[in-house]
Amino acid sequence: MGGKSKSIFRLGVIMLLSLSVILSGCGGGNNKVANSGKGNNGNSGQVTGENAANGVEPFEISVFIGQPDQQPTPDNKIYKLIKEKTGASFKFEFLAGDIDQKLGVMIAGGDYPDMMTANQKLTAAGAFIPLEDLIEEHAPNLKKHYEKYWNMMKDPNDGHIYNLPNYGATNADVNSSWYSGPAFWIQKDVLAEAGYPQVKTLDQYFDLIKEYKAKHPEIDGTPTVGFEILNYDWKNWGLFNPPQHLIGHPNDGGVVVKDGVAEIFADKDFAKQYYQKLNQMNAEGVIDKETFTQNFDQYMAKLSSGAVLGMFDQHWNFQKAEDVLITQKKDNRTYVGLPLVFDESIKDHYKDRPALNLNNGFGITVNASEEQQIRIIKLLDTLIQEDWQKILAWGIEGEDYIVKDGRFMKTQEQRDQFTDATWKLANKADSFFGQAPKMEGLFSDGNATDGAAQPEEMQAALRDYDKEFLSKYGYSTYVDFFSPAPENDIAYPAWSVDLVDGSEAKIANTKLNELQTKFLPKAILAKPGEFESVWADYVKEIGKVNIKAYEDRINEVLQWRKDSWTVK
Amino acid sequence: MEQTLKKNRADRTPKKDKKITWSLIKDQSQLIYMSVPLLAYILLFAYYPIWGWTMAFQDYKPAKDFSDQKWVGFKHFEFLFKDDNFLQVLRNTLAMSVINLILGFTTAIILALLLNEIKKIFWKRTVQTISYLPHFLSWIIVTGIVATSLASDGIVNDVLMKLHLISEPIQWLSHGKYFWGIVGVSNVWKEVGWSTIIYLAAMSSIDPALYEAADIDGASRYRKMFHVTLPGIKPTIIILLIMQVGHILEAGFEIQYLLGNGLVVDWSQTIDIFVLKYGLAQGNYSLATAAGIFKTVVSVTLLLIANGVSKRLGEERLL
Amino acid sequence: MANQTISPGPASTAAVSRPIGRSRLEPILFNTFNTLFMIGLVIVTLYPFLNTIVVSLNAGNDTIRGGIYLWPREFTWQNYKAVFASGTIYNAFWISVARTVLSTLLNLGLTTMLAYTLSRKEYVFRKPITLVFILTMYFNAGLIPGYFLMKDLHLLNTFWVYVIPSMISAFNMIVIRTYIGTIPESLVESARIDGAGDFKIFIRIIFPLCKPVLATIALFVAVGAWNSWFDAFIYTSSHQELSTLQYELMKLLSSSMNSNSNPSVANGIGVKTDMVTPISIRAAVTVVASVPILLVYPFMQKYFVVGLNVGSVKE
Repeated sequence: MGGKSKSIFRLGVIMLLSLSVILSGCGGGNNKVANSGKGNNGNSGQVTGENAANGVEPFEISVFIGQPDQQPTPDNKIYKLIKEKTGASFKFEFLAGDIDQKLGVMIAGGDYPDMMTANQKLTAAGAFIPLEDLIEEHAPNLKKHYEKYWNMMKDPNDGHIYNLPNYGATNADVNSSWYSGPAFWIQKDVLAEAGYPQVKTLDQYFDLIKEYKAKHPEIDGTPTVGFEILNYDWKNWGLFNPPQHLIGHPNDGGVVVKDGVAEIFADKDFAKQYYQKLNQMNAEGVIDKETFTQNFDQYMAKLSSGAVLGMFDQHWNFQKAEDVLITQKKDNRTYVGLPLVFDESIKDHYKDRPALNLNNGFGITVNASEEQQIRIIKLLDTLIQEDWQKILAWGIEGEDYIVKDGRFMKTQEQRDQFTDATWKLANKADSFFGQAPKMEGLFSDGNATDGAAQPEEMQAALRDYDKEFLSKYGYSTYVDFFSPAPENDIAYPAWSVDLVDGSEAKIANTKLNELQTKFLPKAILAKPGEFESVWADYVKEIGKVNIKAYEDRINEVLQWRKDSWTVK
Repeated sequence: MEQTLKKNRADRTPKKDKKITWSLIKDQSQLIYMSVPLLAYILLFAYYPIWGWTMAFQDYKPAKDFSDQKWVGFKHFEFLFKDDNFLQVLRNTLAMSVINLILGFTTAIILALLLNEIKKIFWKRTVQTISYLPHFLSWIIVTGIVATSLASDGIVNDVLMKLHLISEPIQWLSHGKYFWGIVGVSNVWKEVGWSTIIYLAAMSSIDPALYEAADIDGASRYRKMFHVTLPGIKPTIIILLIMQVGHILEAGFEIQYLLGNGLVVDWSQTIDIFVLKYGLAQGNYSLATAAGIFKTVVSVTLLLIANGVSKRLGEERLL
Repeated sequence: MANQTISPGPASTAAVSRPIGRSRLEPILFNTFNTLFMIGLVIVTLYPFLNTIVVSLNAGNDTIRGGIYLWPREFTWQNYKAVFASGTIYNAFWISVARTVLSTLLNLGLTTMLAYTLSRKEYVFRKPITLVFILTMYFNAGLIPGYFLMKDLHLLNTFWVYVIPSMISAFNMIVIRTYIGTIPESLVESARIDGAGDFKIFIRIIFPLCKPVLATIALFVAVGAWNSWFDAFIYTSSHQELSTLQYELMKLLSSSMNSNSNPSVANGIGVKTDMVTPISIRAAVTVVASVPILLVYPFMQKYFVVGLNVGSVKE
């Protein structure tokens, strides 16, 4: 023991010594509070100077991606190709943890890498450089890519372009057989058993569910659940969003925009009409008793049991549950999205056209040297060209996809690989490509830019059950249940308006969400006789919130968009 | 026995009004060498960053230099205290924290006493090792299991139904009245084994002669537990208790966040959740700092009170 | 205190008058109850971990259905393959080991040394220094000032940022000090008479006598250091080579949760039964992250024996 403690002690002494060195070393630094930060160029890309065989100068770009991802493998074939052809390699940093905390210290310290994904906080802190001149001067292809969207990309506060939106700059109507957005979903078997009716209204929808539930109190041994409402953590649209769709409006988040003016709908009569209907349905036992207490995992477990007949949700959110049903050969328990409205005179507007993905995509930071800025923009300009886009989206011809008569296709094995996260780390450049400017729509040879939108691939995805199901309706895909998306309003969508951190508007929004989370379940679960009084309380509480600040902020930005986006 | 213990300690207490003289310092130079560098260390790493508390009185923007920040006085404290929900949030925090404190201490001490009664070493170590496993699971996993167990078809309702204690499943998570209890029990479940460790270590300092003497006196097992073991770990218990009282505004937020829902929000929201929503999520570092200062003031006050009470009672104290 | 005897009281008389039958039955009853209680405890506390292991060995897509309790329904190694597929966790593992070992050693040495000085009632600076340390448990300067400090000390993006800021914990110090308080003062006194200084007393007498509490503190520090990810997140996240196991696993988990919304995956093309999901990745990650540190406790347990201490003093 003596010997052991002695060695521990020795360590302690060494530690103390080194500590005192540190203490003295930073003696002058203690008062630097005010001027620390800024001007740290230490981590800008290093140019090694050595020239690669084919004459391109290798350089490294440090990149912060504001969402979780995994490091690609060191020998990833796409990044290798990029390095070979352009000299560029990436040093990625991904976010795991709270983005507000991470950005807080980055901004405070001014410690930015060369390139970062967009964030309102960063823009507000002046972390990004304006890109207009750089693009004009060095990036003709990017300029062409964004030409139609140039004004939209400008920051409402100072009119500069700081980020290159990663989605929404399309060259053709993106046509997918897969609808990923919001809808009232209904189990296919409910429609099949009712003889494939057209379902347009909320009442028709619940009638079908009630009827089916009465006939089948159990499905595969599990008690049948009529309707689920998910409201867990940030996944609150299942409870909050339906009213705006039921009156024929597209998804604008917490507001509906009528004649260009946004107002909240949480306390409006049409919202009440919807929640009162749910209250009735609850009284009739249609709604799951546990629906408001379940977490996301429990919700998914219920959907994948095949015993849930309907819910309001966004398709991507519950996709995995459908995968499970399919592997269990329960194709008839998967779902069809229905664009319901209150009455048949209202035209549904669920499906919308892609809008430019504002406040997303890469920006170049003030820490990148001027030389590095030019190299980055030139690189992005190279990669937006069609041959590179094919590599980034589809992969390497012959390895990742095949070409038959000029059409791009995949073998089943290649399709499987594309769903394998481990394979992708070595063979796809998704961390970069997901955030980079990209072509959407069609390549010049007519192939779709996205494998999932290629008609041949769509057909391959349809199973026999679906083909038969769709033929009963005379449709070719499930998207045909929805009305075609009309042209977007110029300022659409309102949900992408930045409410500004810490502003009255944002606080009001948080308060409103809190009240909805608290009162709507209460109203739905109340005895039908008590619904009115709960609703009255709810409306009264909303009256105390500074809704005007919230609406004003949205309208202000919508107006700005109208003014600056309309004219070329 | 307790009396002798106390007397012993009293002997060691130094005389009051000791003057610090050079000769005393010289005398204690080794103690000074051993502690003052560490004092310097803690002053630098823990105290120096307190300049950040000025943020509470500013509209702090991380992008700006210190001299460019806007000073706003007590605005953020007002926002905190004047919010309609503040009292409710404070009540929830205190309630869950007190429940955790009471349940946490009693269960850990009882378990430590019972473990100490196990004579087979292997069995004892097995129980110890297994009981501390849940400490290593994240709250998201533990709350997942809690939620599954409390579902309509979960094990809790199953058992109660089979015992005919209830006629239909209880929706445990949709009633505010159950929420604090569920949080308390979940906390015990996750941490009891872990909390026991410190008491087991304290027990190893008990003089076996005391047990032998008790045996000679024919003391029963319970007598030994209450008159030898428990007094032996009492200093540890009291010190931990005093320290924990200072953490009374820390009821955690993960478990409440993960188990809470709209129906129980009036019981589940804690100060930390409130600060997360209106502070960090809004980029409002100032509000988060103000809340932190408020918590510190409450903590230190309670700590000093607890320490004073303990001193009055002639028990172990922190300071 | 070592020579104390229990004061004679009602206990002894009660024992004499107690009927023999009861005193024989009572231990059996107690032991039966105690064993049953412990079995119950083991079941209740083993279940969550066992369940996590089972989920980690069950096919991800199947786990979504729920109802996985004590045995996998569709056994697979896929979740572990996904965890170990990321090449970054091997280096991160060693970083974690290094920081854990170093932190534990430093904490034990420094915290115990401090605790000893603050246990000396005659020490003139005892009260102020104790107060200074205790208060650190109750305030938090906040993220940004802490970040500036690390930046000014040039600790950002260095390994030392894992170790240096957390060399002493006030809580552990108090726990050790309390334990030292139970060590008979006579031992210190006699050493002093022999001419030993505080330093020598600390090294020769106190430190060896603190084994049980040091084992506890070592466990606390080691578990804390092993499990922490926040410092990697805030201070070193731009340097992959410094990343810790916990942070790498967290990235893995977050990215698996994120990929849910990836449209090309979500297209329903080529559904595979063994596809990994957040629930199953979380389970595998938990097992991988906790098993190495779980192995520490059994080694500490031999120090938790009643009388271990005093016995060694007498020898």
